[in-house]
Amino acid sequence: MQYSQKVLDHFMHPHNVGKIDYPDAVATEGSPACGDQVTVYIKVNPESLVIEDAKFQSYGCASNIATASIITDLAIGKTIEQAKNITWRDAMDALDGLPPVKVHCSVLAADTLRKAITKFEIDKGLIEPPKFNKDTIVEELRKIIYPKVGEDIVTLKMVKYVGFQDGEVLVDLEIPSFDQYRENLAEEIREHLAGFPEVKNVQITM
Amino acid sequence: MDKKHIYLDNCITTQPAPEVIEAMLPYLREKFWFPGSFISTGEAINADLERYKEIVAGSLNAKPSEIHFTNGGTLANNIAIKGLLEQHSGKGKHIICSIVDYPDILTNAAFFEEAGFEVTYLSPDQEAFIDLDELKEAIRPDTILFMTTAVNHVVGTIQPLKKIEQILRAADHHIFFHVDACQGYGKIPLDMKELDIDTMSISAHKIHGPQGIGALYLRQGTKIGQYVHGIARFDDLQTGGLNFASIAGFAKAVELQFSDLKGNISRLRDLSNYLLESIQQKIPYVELNGPLGEGRAPHNMNVTFDYIEGEAITMMMDMHGITVATGSACASEGLKANYVLMAIGKTFVQSHGSMKFTVGRYNTREEIDYTVDVIAEIVKELRSRSPLFHENK
Repeated sequence: MQYSQKVLDHFMHPHNVGKIDYPDAVATEGSPACGDQVTVYIKVNPESLVIEDAKFQSYGCASNIATASIITDLAIGKTIEQAKNITWRDAMDALDGLPPVKVHCSVLAADTLRKAITKFEIDKGLIEPPKFNKDTIVEELRKIIYPKVGEDIVTLKMVKYVGFQDGEVLVDLEIPSFDQYRENLAEEIREHLAGFPEVKNVQITM
Repeated sequence: MDKKHIYLDNCITTQPAPEVIEAMLPYLREKFWFPGSFISTGEAINADLERYKEIVAGSLNAKPSEIHFTNGGTLANNIAIKGLLEQHSGKGKHIICSIVDYPDILTNAAFFEEAGFEVTYLSPDQEAFIDLDELKEAIRPDTILFMTTAVNHVVGTIQPLKKIEQILRAADHHIFFHVDACQGYGKIPLDMKELDIDTMSISAHKIHGPQGIGALYLRQGTKIGQYVHGIARFDDLQTGGLNFASIAGFAKAVELQFSDLKGNISRLRDLSNYLLESIQQKIPYVELNGPLGEGRAPHNMNVTFDYIEGEAITMMMDMHGITVATGSACASEGLKANYVLMAIGKTFVQSHGSMKFTVGRYNTREEIDYTVDVIAEIVKELRSRSPLFHENK
């Protein structure tokens, strides 16, 4: 398992590190307990809605820092509409790939950027706060990477069932009992869904 | 900064001593033979084997017949644990070990749990010492085996082997005592006349010997079942062939380490203490993991750099030519925080930010100076990128 030269370059000499003093939006995702945390600041031109500046701070490993560096690079100069569509796959491609076990780091960076943009949009009255439903859960599950292959659990068809009723979330996963990432995935699903006030309890069956 | 290579991961493996390689070469070239009877080639190897067994036995104050060469520490552990339990399970099926033991012990414990044995896992204190009162309470009439790791592989804690032995021997029946001493051998005194241990594993490549060779100490009179079946060429427990050059290298490494054990130990301790002092002097917000002083193996220093993550530190150190280890989940194959650090009450963040420095014979004070200068810069840089540092400052 090795990092590409691009990852190492962005890790050793990251672009856009730091804070923006009067940002138009700030978002923080992840937590030190999960091993990584990223904060993204954006400055948006009120007329053109172009992201004029983006900065980040990262508590995390080399790939976490590198993906936050590249994602802010990709965002700067784009309109918020364009920047919303930057995915973790774009970040990964721009870095010439990541080892499978590190793909989740790129998801965190892409997700944090998108959260910052959504905050900006809600703040400026451009969109309504999104409603929480089953689709929201599936969208969240798309951010959870199976570390063995570096692909998300929805694309891998590991999610067999998603249910949501009265604050109760039920997720049924297909994963072998001897898989070393079982606990990691369950933990990550809980962490992702815990951020929503609509979610009272998460039940995961495997 | 100019690029050199500094190796500070001596608990995982060490650089073979030049004398060790010299001692191995004849067996890779002309003396490539296997042991055998009556013919000159085989008898020459027989004689050398006896001599090397004496050297290794001498380092433990054991008898040469109590030493069994194996393909390494893990195999020695398996031969001992599986051999003991197979031979004696009729007397009981209860095992005691600790949650901070080396994976060799823990995976064997889990294997025997599956096979119908019961395992009591002792919990460590905050410095990874096992609780002796808990051990006393855990002993039952059907307790057959106690296993421990002489020196903890993460935080260097030296388990009180003598006190453990006294507790085990005070029991009404014989409880077999197995010690994984791979991390402790050559770092702490291990005298088999002083300690009533049944089986113990040691390894060559932790003391500047070659990789792939170790030994099992099996106390005279202790019976174990056969685990590796096959033709007894070098040894009746590790049957089949063994790399004889490695045995020669192992014996040479033992000679080098034990000719001045006290001096070697105090040199390692001086270096690791110097490393800790320098880190504490030059870098703020640093925590030591594990005990300080005589309770800690002389080569191990494990510290947490607050607010930052260890994989990033390790990568940056690697770019500067310095090899170190971290307890961060991001650096582990299973993406899990280090289980020893978690078991001794550290938080995820403390484990993620932990760095393990282990010194060896060839490290110098100058290397430590350079290393600490590099870490100081790296820590400063990564903290400047960290959202946690600004929040907490």
